[in-house]
Amino acid sequence: MKADPLVEVENLTKHYPITEGVLRREVGRVRAVDGISFDIRPGETVGIVGESGCGKSTAATSLLRLEEPTDGRVLFGGEDITTYDKSQLKAFRRRAQMIFQDPSSSFDPRMSIGDSVAEPLKIHGMRDRNRRRRIVEDLLERVGLSARDADRYPHEFSGGQKQRVALARALVVNPDFIVADEPVSALDVSIQAEILGLIDDIQAEFGLSILLISHDMGVVRQICDRVNVMYLGEIVESGPTEDVFDDPQHPYTKALMGSIPKPDPRRRGEGIELTGDVPNPSDPPTGCRFHTRCPSVIAPDDVSLGQEAWRNVLHFRSRTARGDLDPRSLAESHLPTEELPGDEDADLARDAVNQAVRAEFDLPSPLSDSEAERAVTDAVDALVEEGTAEAGELLREAFPTVCANRAPELVETDGRRVACHLHDESVEATPQEDVTFGIGDDD
Amino acid sequence: MATQDTFRDIDWEEMGGVGLSAGGKQMLAFTAIYLLVLAYDGLLLHDGLNVLLLSPLGLEASGLGQFVATTNGPTLWIPFESVGIDFTFLWDFSGTDWLFVVTVAVGYFYGVLPMRNNPRLAATYWRQFKKNRAAVVSAIYLVIIFVVGIVGPLFLKDPQIQPLEAYQPPVFMTVPTTVPIECLGETTMQGGKQVCQGTWQYPLGTTGEGKGILKLLVLGMRVSMQVGLITMLLVITLGSLVGTTAAYFGGYVDEVLMRYVDLQASVPSFFLFLILSYFFEPTLFMLIALFGLLGWEGTARLVRSEALQRTEEEFVRAAENAGASDGWVIRRHILPNVSNTIITNASLLIPGFILFEAALAFLNVTDPGISSWGKTISAGRGDLANAPWIATIPGIFLFLTILGFNFLGDALGDALDPRRGDS
Amino acid sequence: MSDSDTQPLLSVDDLHVQFDTDGGVVRAVDGVSFDVDRGETVCIVGESGSGKTVSCEAITKIIDIPPGRVSGTVDFDGENLVDASQKRLQQVRGGRIGHIFQNPQGALNPVYTVGTQIIEAIQLHRDVSKGDARERAIELLDRVGIPEAAARVSDYPHEFSGGMRQRVVIAMALAAEPDLLIADEPTTALDVTIQAQILRLLRDLQKEFDMGIVFITHDLGVVAEIADRVVVMYAGKVMERGDVYELFEDPAHPYTQALLECLPGRGDATEAIGGSLPDPTDPPDGCRFNPRCEYAVEECRVGEQVPPIGVDGPDDDHCAACVYYRDGYDSSTVRGTVTATTDGGTAREAKTADDSEQPDGGGPQ
Repeated sequence: MKADPLVEVENLTKHYPITEGVLRREVGRVRAVDGISFDIRPGETVGIVGESGCGKSTAATSLLRLEEPTDGRVLFGGEDITTYDKSQLKAFRRRAQMIFQDPSSSFDPRMSIGDSVAEPLKIHGMRDRNRRRRIVEDLLERVGLSARDADRYPHEFSGGQKQRVALARALVVNPDFIVADEPVSALDVSIQAEILGLIDDIQAEFGLSILLISHDMGVVRQICDRVNVMYLGEIVESGPTEDVFDDPQHPYTKALMGSIPKPDPRRRGEGIELTGDVPNPSDPPTGCRFHTRCPSVIAPDDVSLGQEAWRNVLHFRSRTARGDLDPRSLAESHLPTEELPGDEDADLARDAVNQAVRAEFDLPSPLSDSEAERAVTDAVDALVEEGTAEAGELLREAFPTVCANRAPELVETDGRRVACHLHDESVEATPQEDVTFGIGDDD
Repeated sequence: MATQDTFRDIDWEEMGGVGLSAGGKQMLAFTAIYLLVLAYDGLLLHDGLNVLLLSPLGLEASGLGQFVATTNGPTLWIPFESVGIDFTFLWDFSGTDWLFVVTVAVGYFYGVLPMRNNPRLAATYWRQFKKNRAAVVSAIYLVIIFVVGIVGPLFLKDPQIQPLEAYQPPVFMTVPTTVPIECLGETTMQGGKQVCQGTWQYPLGTTGEGKGILKLLVLGMRVSMQVGLITMLLVITLGSLVGTTAAYFGGYVDEVLMRYVDLQASVPSFFLFLILSYFFEPTLFMLIALFGLLGWEGTARLVRSEALQRTEEEFVRAAENAGASDGWVIRRHILPNVSNTIITNASLLIPGFILFEAALAFLNVTDPGISSWGKTISAGRGDLANAPWIATIPGIFLFLTILGFNFLGDALGDALDPRRGDS
Repeated sequence: MSDSDTQPLLSVDDLHVQFDTDGGVVRAVDGVSFDVDRGETVCIVGESGSGKTVSCEAITKIIDIPPGRVSGTVDFDGENLVDASQKRLQQVRGGRIGHIFQNPQGALNPVYTVGTQIIEAIQLHRDVSKGDARERAIELLDRVGIPEAAARVSDYPHEFSGGMRQRVVIAMALAAEPDLLIADEPTTALDVTIQAQILRLLRDLQKEFDMGIVFITHDLGVVAEIADRVVVMYAGKVMERGDVYELFEDPAHPYTQALLECLPGRGDATEAIGGSLPDPTDPPDGCRFNPRCEYAVEECRVGEQVPPIGVDGPDDDHCAACVYYRDGYDSSTVRGTVTATTDGGTAREAKTADDSEQPDGGGPQ
């Protein structure tokens, strides 16, 4: 029997406006978190994992209303905390606490750690100084320090010890829920295991729910019961930790799991390599946000290119969508100086640019599919004669893909949720075979 | 009892509000006493009720006013003169003096008390500070000046003009007898000329008006201390408030405050004082008020940039996360962490203001009734050839005091800087 | 694989680096030795304070001297760099030994374009015209995977993302075609998918230029991914050294074993190492790891640390700084015996002494 969730996040959204000018006109938005939903049950540890820029830390601060969410609801014990007024919010702070990433800056250097741990008690009205002292000393012992440490200052402790104090400070108000934002990232490996063990023990002893944010899969795997994988502000896969790690379904999750270097040299080079960089969150790709880097992006039915060539064509297409492809510099990048055409000879120029484009985007010449080949050649001509926009038009018409046109929904499959058209039965798609790009030995 | 001592046993419903700390209660008590005495002085001793309230309203509450007012303040006058000691104790607080009391109180509550509450931190700072010998010597010197400057004038009568005793040399010097009007000390022969030796009656000699230089120095100490410290307090109070508020709240608040600061920075307070001195009586109070109220832009900008850095630190977010209000965060986290910048800035501001006052006094645009070092230097300006001690001795003290504050400021900056590798 | 017949490209022998600080003398590197061949990647792995970064800074002497002091031998292609003049060192740095640092922001000057900086690196060590240097710069940028290199060559560092910036730094380090590349945690600040790209790039470049690479990291996963040989450091000393396969399958030193066992993500098999890292001004007597070692005996706590001793196994160079490998000690106490397992790997059999017999178990026999 599943207990009612303690925390339910519904469509949480946080955008940061980009402003210009004295009057601060909004010219764009950074979509740090763009509608995520998940829940956390009592006594459970849930993880949010993802790389930099995916919005996981912002999700944590918005969830606790340390920053005001732009949209969405957060239900805590059944009540919507986004509608709380000041005093209700203050009371909520007693029930939900946070541990921060950097132990060296999460303590006021001018306060002893005893005072830092006692501060939440003071804020919420406990005036009895001696009672505060006793509570603090008791807590310090529980997290593995000694009561005498209460008078010492943060700079006298190591990183691992400071994280223990951070845990004590979070516990002092007896919360039901703790958000841990990268709690061990700043610590040495030999200390990480200790702190994670401590968090696990504390959770078991006091029945807490924990939300763990991390970019380190090993950490997540160590203590999380369930995990949500985020990419560019959205959750792409979500499910029990072991399942997601051992059998990832979403192409991004697969690449992520594959990229983690395993401490076993016999298994080197097993990863899937993604191309390119994470796109800018103020200008995310259309449709599925991951499609520009996805190894398994869906090709139109009438195209038979092989997955790698298809991906490269799609890369060419996406690049034109960004505008401003300069044929001249492309030629300069890939052709030796002697072969660069002068301004006069049009045919030579077209040839040179064709060569350069093929080199830049790794497109074989000619492509195996004749229609595709024609479309690409036409696009290169359009690039030379008219411009990037026209070339882009041609490519978009010739190579439509559902991954660029429609955003996938989170769909239940197999005990977990995945946001990918490949897993959405309502979408017509022939999945291409996965290509594994290894890092390792060729011998 | 053990059952009450773990965090699991807290019953949050029965907690009251935050309440006051011990320091807070002391401050409240002090403020109450201060206001009472101020009321007594203002209303009773200086007819304040009439002047401030009733006359402007056209009422001359005859019976009431007369009843409330008395003439002079209690002049505790101990007739030591009968035993040959010229000794008085004068209570007549002027506006400046009231401000000075506030300044000293603030110094106690925000400087001394926190250090007493955090002895380990204080010990660390002291260890660092001790390493700078020059600063320690300066600190001792300044403390002496401070104490003498406060206590001394209480026991001194206003210096009188005594033409017969003009131009006496200091006790360690001899001058040709042509210089003093009448030599109070011994006259001897030296190198073919008759010279006058200084006496202990005027250990540092006298001015052209016959006023004892030592007395003038002591009175000048008070003036310098008052000018330096009170103005500094005004400046850092206004500057810190504005700086931290702008940094913490950001946005429109920041814009508006900083643009005002830019405006104020364009107003030259020195010249403004000169101009105002033509229209109004240039009292010390006016000088302090003007420089204090118009001189805080630099501090505001400095504090703002420090506070901006602190606001980004995680411990601020940790406090917000624990439920702290904006005021709590500013007061307990941001201000203490920018306080080192403030203190360093303060100790470097003081000499600036003392110099301002000296310069204005030198130009004879300040209150003629107040004897400051600048005034004495100015008085001795013309006699540098014959009676160099008149201008030089105050000049030396002025120089040493400025130097002392500079050394102190540098050392404080180094000692209090938390970015000094701590571990 | 190391070929013991030819001279290694880099041979570090008994390197010592000390710093005079207010708190005492810090012996950051205390007798470290290792070799690097052409075409080989040697990973130096350790936690903070292990001395891994300082060792590599000492190779090209980019340490502040004073307060630092370097002694020992750093033999680079026949020349001892410890004794080399500043002028010679400047020729070697960038020219024959390239250096990549952890934080790409720090290595790139924000006020110059990327192209200018690469051209400068080229022209410092090669006599070419500016035009040729520019062409070479574009070529390099393309080679390290920057798209549209000719357009990007005139961009400023802040216009690149983190991963791209690290590629630029790599391009700069390769500008003069060095023989040895020292990479100090180049992927630590990067996301794991970008890290995979960069590691692959380094591997490809190594093959193309036949470079030796010294790769510093704290991440054992990265070591397994790219190393040919591994040097494990702790508190300024080498704890274990050897071929990567053997080190992971059959680690000899208790510290290496403990490191492998404390990696998060192994579920219940994760075991923390108790204690904390030693104080650099006052390290423990004897073996630096002894306060945290479950096999420590009296000999471990006195005198000097045992220098690395050869260890049984297919790799001749595999050695560990542990008393249990001396003659007269039973090394199976810390190592157990190696057997093959069904999945094609190897496993360590239960050790001969278990915890309850400490501290007497496993002593000299």
